[in-house]
Amino acid sequence: MIGFEVLAGGLLTTIQDLGRQGYTHLGITNSGAIDEYAYRWSQKLLDNHEGNALEILLGGLKLRATAGATLAVCGANLDFRINDKKQPIWQTHHINKGDIISFHQQSEGLRAYLAVKGGFKVEKVHGSYAATIKEGIGQKLSKGDFLAFVPTQTKETRHVPEKFISKYPKHLTLNILLSYQHDFFSDEQKEKFFSTDYELTPQISRMGYKLKGKAMIPSKGGIISEGITFGAVQIPQDGQPIILLKERQTIGGYPKIGSVLPSDCFKLAQLPIGSMVRFREINIEDAEKEMKGFYDFFKS
Amino acid sequence: MQNEAYVVETVSVDSAMLYFKEIICEEVLDQVQHAYLALKTLEYIIDLTPSYNSILIQYDINHYNHLSIKEAVLKQVSEYRKVTAEKSHKLIEIPVDYSKGIDLERVAEINNISTEEVIDKHTQTTYRVYAIGFMVGFAYLAKVDDTIATPRLSTPRDKVPKGSVAIADTQTAIYPQDSAGGWNIIGHTDFNDFSSFEIGDRVRFEQI
Repeated sequence: MIGFEVLAGGLLTTIQDLGRQGYTHLGITNSGAIDEYAYRWSQKLLDNHEGNALEILLGGLKLRATAGATLAVCGANLDFRINDKKQPIWQTHHINKGDIISFHQQSEGLRAYLAVKGGFKVEKVHGSYAATIKEGIGQKLSKGDFLAFVPTQTKETRHVPEKFISKYPKHLTLNILLSYQHDFFSDEQKEKFFSTDYELTPQISRMGYKLKGKAMIPSKGGIISEGITFGAVQIPQDGQPIILLKERQTIGGYPKIGSVLPSDCFKLAQLPIGSMVRFREINIEDAEKEMKGFYDFFKS
Repeated sequence: MQNEAYVVETVSVDSAMLYFKEIICEEVLDQVQHAYLALKTLEYIIDLTPSYNSILIQYDINHYNHLSIKEAVLKQVSEYRKVTAEKSHKLIEIPVDYSKGIDLERVAEINNISTEEVIDKHTQTTYRVYAIGFMVGFAYLAKVDDTIATPRLSTPRDKVPKGSVAIADTQTAIYPQDSAGGWNIIGHTDFNDFSSFEIGDRVRFEQI
């Protein structure tokens, strides 16, 4: 068999792509790479189309290659090594049969993406490779698993230009479009919302990021359950915002004040517990311009 | 339906919400079901998430902006109404073994009736699918007869087995997989086709 033998699965390593589309009416969430920016770079470096990558949370992953391959690593700095020798990320690498790939201590960001040229050969479920463990779709990688790929070798090494390499600040401003039930929040509440530095709690996952700061008080505590978008900011009974991400529930009944710009959610997904965020209002025209620019950048 | 019965609002950079009247009832559900069927044929739509009185529409921002999507949605929904007179009447029948209902007695006691009456009431109603969510294939069915409506357990169970037929307030549902949950379990079914549920479908339970 040609591919990677999994020697250690790490804390939470899953196969991801751009997510599962067209099934939310059955309660199946979108899932997909939580930091699409780093993920898309891993694909772009390898010219992968409709590919996939391993999303690696905080390291601990160890793989042995049974054949040569070209791979790319982007995203968090998790002390990526080949044969125990530290290697730069945000670029491609060529590996040979028997090489050991490993990720160790996290220093910047939370999640790294490891892609191979041509993608990992796994089955799609409902049109996507993305694992959603709570739905029983895919599993986290564990020792003894095997990840098949098609052996390829390209001569050229590609790098992400320095100016496009993500920095992961401890303070992040999130652009939010006020929408949904924002009129449940008085001007005073909104003023508080936009002037508070919120801290990331330990409850951060692929489903959502729970914040801690001044509590927001809506005029009504609940609504008739309705569809939830990526980046929606939900205010549950304790008044502490939750930013809903790739594995969010498809419907829910808590009031939402608006939606964070997807490109800011991708940055948020790399921030560790204790980081601070602040919200800034964005209008729909600017939001559209920003996201069209984001997608156009990766089209070329 | 009058135009003012629904409105399209921008909810995120690539999503709009079609809202109907803010009430849970069969008339609104019919409107949601019709609009859902209409929007299924609209191009460049990524995801549709219908629920009790709304449909979330995620669209491709290379083809629509926040203004053009509203126009397209309103046009699609109103034109579809003109050409489609008949409603979708899919009926799903669910065989239930009520002897496996571990909360059947509790439901009977709370409502001061016999367990046989609970079963009768539960099987006499034709329910509608008002929403699907919470977990994959979990269909919220309503409306349960008031005489058997029962609040959730005060402490949810860590594990409710797949196939459990349950009641919470005036809603009933089938657990599509093992899960934690606080609904009152009144029976068990081997029914397994959870992906066949769609908003607005009709559902009946049959005692076996």
